[in-house]
Amino acid sequence: MRIVPQLDRQSRLIVLVQKPTGKIAISLAFAVLLLLNGESLYIELATIAAALSFFPRQRRIMLSGATLYWLLVHPNLIRRSLIHSVAAAEGFAEGWRLGLLTAATMCAVLGALGLLLGFVGKRPNHLVGKRPVLVMVVSFLCLLMAAGTLPLHGAPRIAAWMLLALAGPYLWFFAYALDDYASRAHDPYRLQIGTFFPFWVGSNSSSTPIGKGAAYLRKMEAHTPKDLAVAQLKAIKLLIWLLYLRLALTVFHAIVYGGVFPAAEAFFRARGFPLLNLGVPTLAAALDQTAAGHLPRLSVAWAAVVAHFIAALVGVPIAGNMVVACTRMAGFNILRNTYKPLYATTVAEFWNRFYFYFKELLVEFFFFPTYVRYFKRHRRLRLAAATFAAATLGNLVYHFCRDSEYVFEMGFWPALAGLQVYAFYALVLGGAIAVSQLRGKRAPETLPLYRRAMSSAGVIGFYCLLEIFDDEGRGHLLRTHLAFFVHLFALPL
Amino acid sequence: MNDRLMVRAFLRDLLERTGDRDGFADCDSLVMSGRLDSVDTLDLLVFLEEKYGVDFAERGFDRDDLDSLDSVMSLIGVARGTSR
Repeated sequence: MRIVPQLDRQSRLIVLVQKPTGKIAISLAFAVLLLLNGESLYIELATIAAALSFFPRQRRIMLSGATLYWLLVHPNLIRRSLIHSVAAAEGFAEGWRLGLLTAATMCAVLGALGLLLGFVGKRPNHLVGKRPVLVMVVSFLCLLMAAGTLPLHGAPRIAAWMLLALAGPYLWFFAYALDDYASRAHDPYRLQIGTFFPFWVGSNSSSTPIGKGAAYLRKMEAHTPKDLAVAQLKAIKLLIWLLYLRLALTVFHAIVYGGVFPAAEAFFRARGFPLLNLGVPTLAAALDQTAAGHLPRLSVAWAAVVAHFIAALVGVPIAGNMVVACTRMAGFNILRNTYKPLYATTVAEFWNRFYFYFKELLVEFFFFPTYVRYFKRHRRLRLAAATFAAATLGNLVYHFCRDSEYVFEMGFWPALAGLQVYAFYALVLGGAIAVSQLRGKRAPETLPLYRRAMSSAGVIGFYCLLEIFDDEGRGHLLRTHLAFFVHLFALPL
Repeated sequence: MNDRLMVRAFLRDLLERTGDRDGFADCDSLVMSGRLDSVDTLDLLVFLEEKYGVDFAERGFDRDDLDSLDSVMSLIGVARGTSR
């Protein structure tokens, strides 16, 4: 018996959802499931999705309108704290003037992108036309370096940081648009706008484009009422699954870490029945202890690592697939962001299954451009170089560009040096994926179950330990993470 | 075996590697729909380079070109036209 009903395979339901009453019913169900899944913007999300389902021919242009509405009303992605920090540092008063300046800069960013897209479309043989994403990312990094190293003051400093704060989160959304413009049949700018942090992100603020760009959306768009009904039923099915995961994660947190239901805990404690939990420290807390020179007990350290990995294994699918469900509800039957990661039998396959759209971004903009250009006569070197370009270099570039606040707070070079823990993570990840790819294919379906289970266990163990270094912050040195890691095996550093 | 049949057989092998034994029409999306993942795309790319001399560095790499049997065949056609 399945715990999530196969709604998208029930022909009567598919027919019903194509009717006006069915559209309203499924929109209501969508809103309720969003609410149960903790999405605070459920009314707006469900209303827009419902509007799109009633006017499928205008879907793409309405999507652009909805995206602009989201930017205006819910600008989750914009690094407002950075804008406020730089304004305060330069004595620029908060209030309407800062709001106006932010809006003007945002218009300038979108306008500049429009010009760039036009240039790429008209001059495909120019350097910018040939490598538009490379030019854009390098320009962004140069601006970040200038803002973080040059002694700027006053208006130039505010302008530079505002540009970085506004363009940074959009970087990879723009990259997909540039990539689309470089192809033969691309969407016009008015439709590209709908792909820049679309409304379906809800209250999520990740800069990874889940649903990629216009080229992918064109492929995945529902073109018939039946396709739309199936996509929407898949959205509902996914939200039901996420609800189960969310409940499981909450129970897991309550048992392992505690503190999830403070009111309930106080209630039972007052009546002499304290709610017990395992009191496992978070991985961050265990690393803080290590940095302070107090290594946690071996069993506690292992518990912290395993608990952190399990929480990530459940938490990442919830966040990413919420966006996928909303995208499907809007009429784009995109693939899941996380799909059965525990079924992976190789390191490369796990990476593909765990955070699909981030991996796709790196594959699209780093792996393939490297693979088709360099070391073409050396097959193994070619594969390894492209893998490192994506999983290591691309991964680092993505996070460094995303977290420009650190450059503002620490300066360019200290912020770069502070990325050492994540750099180590990306290097090991790149190496492991390269080896995994060079070793060959994943385990075939015909392999005995125990052999598949053993392969999966090895992969899971690897990622569980690697999570210790999956830290994009600048809180600790690599030495601290390494000390904690070797402590797990009762070794001194 | 003509080119279309050869490419079709190669694509079928790629799909079967992951247990996907469903058929596919010439215009069916295989890459964008997720039936072929990036590792499979890579194998297809190498196959086209080695067997048909497609130079992706020169023409630019677009995964759309590898999405279906039809798009792969038109890519091969363009590559042959360019090389002549």
